[in-house]
Amino acid sequence: MNRILILAGLASLALCAWVLPLIVSDYVVRLLIMVCINIVLVGSMCLANGFTGVFSLGQVGFVAIGAYVSGILSLSLADKASYLPDLPMFLAHIEMATLPATLIAGLVCAAIAIVVGLPLMRLSGHHVSVATMGFMIIVNVVIINADSFTRGARTFTGVPTDMTLPWVVGWAVLAIFLLARLIYSPIGLALRSVREDVIAAQAVGLPVLGTRLLAFSFGAFLAGVGGSLYGHYLGSFSAQTFFFPLMVSLITMLVLGGMSSLSGVVTGVIVVTALSEMLRNLERGVHLGPVSIPPLFGASQVVLGLLFILVMIYRPRGLFEDREISSVFKRRKQRSNS
Amino acid sequence: MVFKSLSRTALFGVAIAACVAGQASAADPIKIGGAFNLTGGQASLDGPAKNGAQMAIDAINAAGGVNGRPLELVVYDGKTDPAIITSLASQLINSDKVSAVIGFSDSDPVLALGPTAQKAGVPFVAVGATSPKLPDQIGDHMFLACFGDNTQAAVGASFAITELKAKTTYVLEDTANEYATLLSKYFRETFEQLGGTVLGRDTYKTDDKSFAAQITKIKASAQKPDFIYVAATPDTIGLIVRQIRQAGLKQPIVGGDGYDTPLLLEVAGAAANNVYYTTHSFITETSTGAIKTFYDAYKTAYGTAPENAFAALGYDAAMLVADAIKRAGSDDPAKITTALAETKDLPGIAGAISYAAGSRIPVKGVTVVGVKDKALYKAAELVPTFVPAP
Amino acid sequence: MNSLEFTIQQIINAVSLGSLYAMVAVGLSMVFGILKMTNFAHGDMMMTGSYATVLLSALGVPFPIAIVAGIAVSALTGILAERIAYRPVRGAPDVTLLLTSLALTYVLENLAILIFSGSPRSFPTPDWMNEVFAFSDGAITFTSVDIISSTSAILSLLGLGWFVSHTTTGLGMRAAAEDMAAAALVGLDINRLIVIAFAIASGFAGLAGMLWAAQSGIIEPDMGFSPLLKAFVAAIVGGFGSIAGAVLGGYLLGALEILIVGFGPTELSPYRDAIVFALLIVFLLFRPGGIMQANREVKL
Repeated sequence: MNRILILAGLASLALCAWVLPLIVSDYVVRLLIMVCINIVLVGSMCLANGFTGVFSLGQVGFVAIGAYVSGILSLSLADKASYLPDLPMFLAHIEMATLPATLIAGLVCAAIAIVVGLPLMRLSGHHVSVATMGFMIIVNVVIINADSFTRGARTFTGVPTDMTLPWVVGWAVLAIFLLARLIYSPIGLALRSVREDVIAAQAVGLPVLGTRLLAFSFGAFLAGVGGSLYGHYLGSFSAQTFFFPLMVSLITMLVLGGMSSLSGVVTGVIVVTALSEMLRNLERGVHLGPVSIPPLFGASQVVLGLLFILVMIYRPRGLFEDREISSVFKRRKQRSNS
Repeated sequence: MVFKSLSRTALFGVAIAACVAGQASAADPIKIGGAFNLTGGQASLDGPAKNGAQMAIDAINAAGGVNGRPLELVVYDGKTDPAIITSLASQLINSDKVSAVIGFSDSDPVLALGPTAQKAGVPFVAVGATSPKLPDQIGDHMFLACFGDNTQAAVGASFAITELKAKTTYVLEDTANEYATLLSKYFRETFEQLGGTVLGRDTYKTDDKSFAAQITKIKASAQKPDFIYVAATPDTIGLIVRQIRQAGLKQPIVGGDGYDTPLLLEVAGAAANNVYYTTHSFITETSTGAIKTFYDAYKTAYGTAPENAFAALGYDAAMLVADAIKRAGSDDPAKITTALAETKDLPGIAGAISYAAGSRIPVKGVTVVGVKDKALYKAAELVPTFVPAP
Repeated sequence: MNSLEFTIQQIINAVSLGSLYAMVAVGLSMVFGILKMTNFAHGDMMMTGSYATVLLSALGVPFPIAIVAGIAVSALTGILAERIAYRPVRGAPDVTLLLTSLALTYVLENLAILIFSGSPRSFPTPDWMNEVFAFSDGAITFTSVDIISSTSAILSLLGLGWFVSHTTTGLGMRAAAEDMAAAALVGLDINRLIVIAFAIASGFAGLAGMLWAAQSGIIEPDMGFSPLLKAFVAAIVGGFGSIAGAVLGGYLLGALEILIVGFGPTELSPYRDAIVFALLIVFLLFRPGGIMQANREVKL
């Protein structure tokens, strides 16, 4: 019964993804594409940040690596010759389709995460936050200076822009599915017990470092995939695309929905996207009959920031805390059965 | 208030009547998209650009509009965020259905918006993005309102050799920024091509506030450079010049249009003497004619002198599009593109604009501005003999 | 210029830069010591004070008064931030405090853009602040701002050291930093101590912002962010929570940066920030208590 429901849901989602662009405006389609990409990115953060209690501020570093790796791999040979003339031989003659480039980008990020995480995942609290933020800054500096791979401070461009709605919907569903499998499995239990009490987890024989490392590197894989999708959506980006502003907006989505809940992740992304688009269109000025408010560019960020603070004060664990939509249904069902 | 709302209702009635008639009324505004990063990292570049563009639109409307119709600048804030820029691109082109787009002062946002405009066949005039590669990267609907960085860097190099009689230089560049890295690259290429020697090169980042270590190294270099070339953005230039002079280096300092900001004199003061920079035109309080009018109008409207060269370029970009609409005699984007490409000798605040056949980068003379006794003067106006390939 | 003169000049550069880092880092460390809070909005106190000073001097207020008023505005912003944003989330996991401060930065910087526009403004320093002193035929130079920032940093930091070790309030703050619950139990007014800590920390940030602006000649809405990141490194390297550690860390960081740019090969200088933050990570891993061994963190 449950499986049929899920399958039916997926099928209708796929149908929507195909048909929707024919009905709604291009602007809405773009928003939906960004929502899906952000679900992958925020999902990548929730694993480490929400479920293991290691609050990483460095995820955007992996997003950057993913975008650049996939960008370099999928750039056409002609563009490579003109934009990246100093690329090493083994890369200069590769022109890859988006899908394999995205997977490789994810794997590269996972590998880097293991190397970086081995020392960093030993830290906890704000120390790990500040250290991972340091990682992000280091990635930024390296990208700006690795001229022959990234064009340095110049815009990296020519990446095929082939992100259609069905593609990103597929990736978002896959990401949530993989995360759900991982979180609601014995490994997921281990993750949460590491979050709740490190010493108790160690006492019952859980490999704390290994568990955190798993979450961190799987998160990095998804971040790399999301970075690749983002890069293929934009077509052009630079090191500054993947820096503090992106980090702040991803964290806002993560925290608003509730970082220990996949439903929270999806809701957070949708709510923050809808809200910031609404505010962005409102701040351009409002004319209602005799009342007219002049444009106040920047007001949307101020309101969003204040809202973030209010959420921190009144609902610090997000809208969903650690509950899932499915568990609400289940509880109701149990109640009606008894 | 009552009158205002009455007139609004009246307008509304007219609009409905126009809709019923099923025809665009003659007073229907022609929409021009204005895409600017008014907040975020590029706010200091794009804010003045937007002000300049809005001034041009207001001036045109005060003079009766174009082809009997007023112009409307539909402004969006890109927030220096590429995802938002692609969204607003779609809003401008598919929802607002603008006839042309102007905006942005850097390659990143231009490359984020450009493909959407190109695909829809809507002309896009970049206000201050000076990377000469942009029109070819995006396509035949992409135009620049200003010369490419290769042109101004070449003029800077040849000015140094012919006017300053310099043979050696030391280059300091901002690596966090595409404009400065490209400017430095083009300058070094030309300077060496023309027989000069680059003694050394050092870097900094836009956010840096102390350049003491870099400057001490220039002081310590075995051979004294004849001048120092600093590729900098408007935010840092006053500071660098001041610190170079405070360290006792008296050589000329040469750079690009990033110096074209009141901050150069405000921050550096007397230290700015013996600074030369290449820019679009000579705009100061002492200018005459249209430039003086622009300068005064800007000061009246925004309470400050134009903050940087992008104010004048924003004004020119809007004028450029208005002129094309007039010649096209229509608000059809394709016709505007054709008319834009044929622009010839359009007088602008930042120099007259013409597009050579097949090129969408204007052919313009480059003005060299110098500083003497805490005041700017026009040192030269040059067309370069050698321009490095973009 | 011989190598001795070169070295002396670079030492002057390092002290001047280090003083600014130290003054920002001290405030971070104070707040961290009491609240165990990583305060991202600390850099914005540099911004609010400097804008107040510029606005006041534009209105004709004499420069020294404008400076003092600017520092007061910084302190006031700090107090307001604590009262409005931080107090309601006090006691929550430290990540909540960190995120709240991140959101506050976002709000303050965009408010500043909204009110003052994103364009930088010049910071009007009187001429005596830009006076240049030259020695050895100009091989060694420094400005009055260099002297003022170094001396005021050292003096105010000494003053702060005396305050926390000799006054009841200062001792109370240290007690609260050691164990807030116990301090409350013995009757210390925790709220008052925290407000004072924020006022002092933000005042220091304001002074640092002023000196920063005097040195750079301009102010802009995001002027506090980059020094804040450096101050994080300084505070952690010195020992997060320790005032002496923050000062030490600030000067070490200034020295390190000058060392990389001034003495390292040219290819290395663009990697300066990467090296600085790599150092931060190394410290977090191998000496999380910093040089002063403050606040030992439980590590796996």
